[in-house]
Amino acid sequence: MHVYIYDSYLNQPKYQKTLSRIETRITDLGLNGKISRLGLMKNVNEVVQSEIRRGAKTIVVVGNDDTVQQVINSIARTGVPLGIIPIDKKNNLIAERLGIPCQDDACDILSARRIEQLDLGLANDQFFLTHAAITGEGTRIEVKENYSIELKEPGEIYVFNLDVGSVSLPPNVFINPSDGLLQVALITKHSKKFLFSENTVESIFAFDKFRLVNQKKPILLDGLFPVSSPVEISISRNSLKVIVGKNRSF
Amino acid sequence: MFNKQDGHDIKEIETIVGPSVKIKGDFNGHGNIIVEGIVEGSLKCGNMLSVKNKAKIMADIEAKDAIIGGEVEGNIKISGYLEITSTAKIIGDIEATKISIAEGALFNGKCTMGLGGKPVHAPETHD
Repeated sequence: MHVYIYDSYLNQPKYQKTLSRIETRITDLGLNGKISRLGLMKNVNEVVQSEIRRGAKTIVVVGNDDTVQQVINSIARTGVPLGIIPIDKKNNLIAERLGIPCQDDACDILSARRIEQLDLGLANDQFFLTHAAITGEGTRIEVKENYSIELKEPGEIYVFNLDVGSVSLPPNVFINPSDGLLQVALITKHSKKFLFSENTVESIFAFDKFRLVNQKKPILLDGLFPVSSPVEISISRNSLKVIVGKNRSF
Repeated sequence: MFNKQDGHDIKEIETIVGPSVKIKGDFNGHGNIIVEGIVEGSLKCGNMLSVKNKAKIMADIEAKDAIIGGEVEGNIKISGYLEITSTAKIIGDIEATKISIAEGALFNGKCTMGLGGKPVHAPETHD
């Protein structure tokens, strides 16, 4: 059974027509299932976990990037595929990278059911799909006991699993969420002077496991969830099954 | 900045060590590596290593191919082609199958060439 998780912002009347159109398309394609509408009092992780326990075969998130990122920790490593129906063109870069078009067109992708297994980043015990970020000031990257990286100038450190355009990467650096590696991008204020040029990232590394240490600042996962430092970061191979489109970026 | 290094096109880069970065320890990469910052320890690269003009490497280097344009204090062992550009300053021994050294480059050390980096001995002559 498909379980459709509607984000709480879709309760606004302006989305009614869009949702009706999507529901009609879902019915036409024979993909009917249960609809669960999130609200202020509903914990998204509890909803997803309880639906998976009840035997949901696919969890379909209806909303935007934030909605997708909220379900990652409850669906990771369950083997249950994640489907996405993006509603707005804004804040839906995850769906875009996965080759999923907006609104009712996304239903055709669900119907085709092309499943890819993606890696996830793991920061201590929390998963992240797209990236993690921390200030470079006072942050040390410890790769092995005898191998560390430090920024000599103030800046930011990004850890990428799936690139959603958070920073402009050099043209010949590729981020693939199924290659078993996390890309670590270091951005200094010096390189930020060229914000409007193509290359804003100064350094790039690829690791499968490392530690970020900063005595003062936390690391932010997927732009939403803070985790206190020190953080053990690793790649969790093939931990997320996702229904993707042909036009995915990897 | 990241597209070309001294005229050599690197199609896919795994690692870029930028000018504001300092690496301490044993740095080991499988893909193409560009170094513009500081590396202390040892540096191993499974593919193409490009050391740019302002880079400072105080480490022994091992790579498949390399273009050195910066400062290196340490021994360099290349299984393929080593290009030393005019801006390079190398203090250490070099071992490579093929080498080119541009005019203006500074190199103090022993140079060993040959197949698999093994020294090539001149054939014995019989008078």
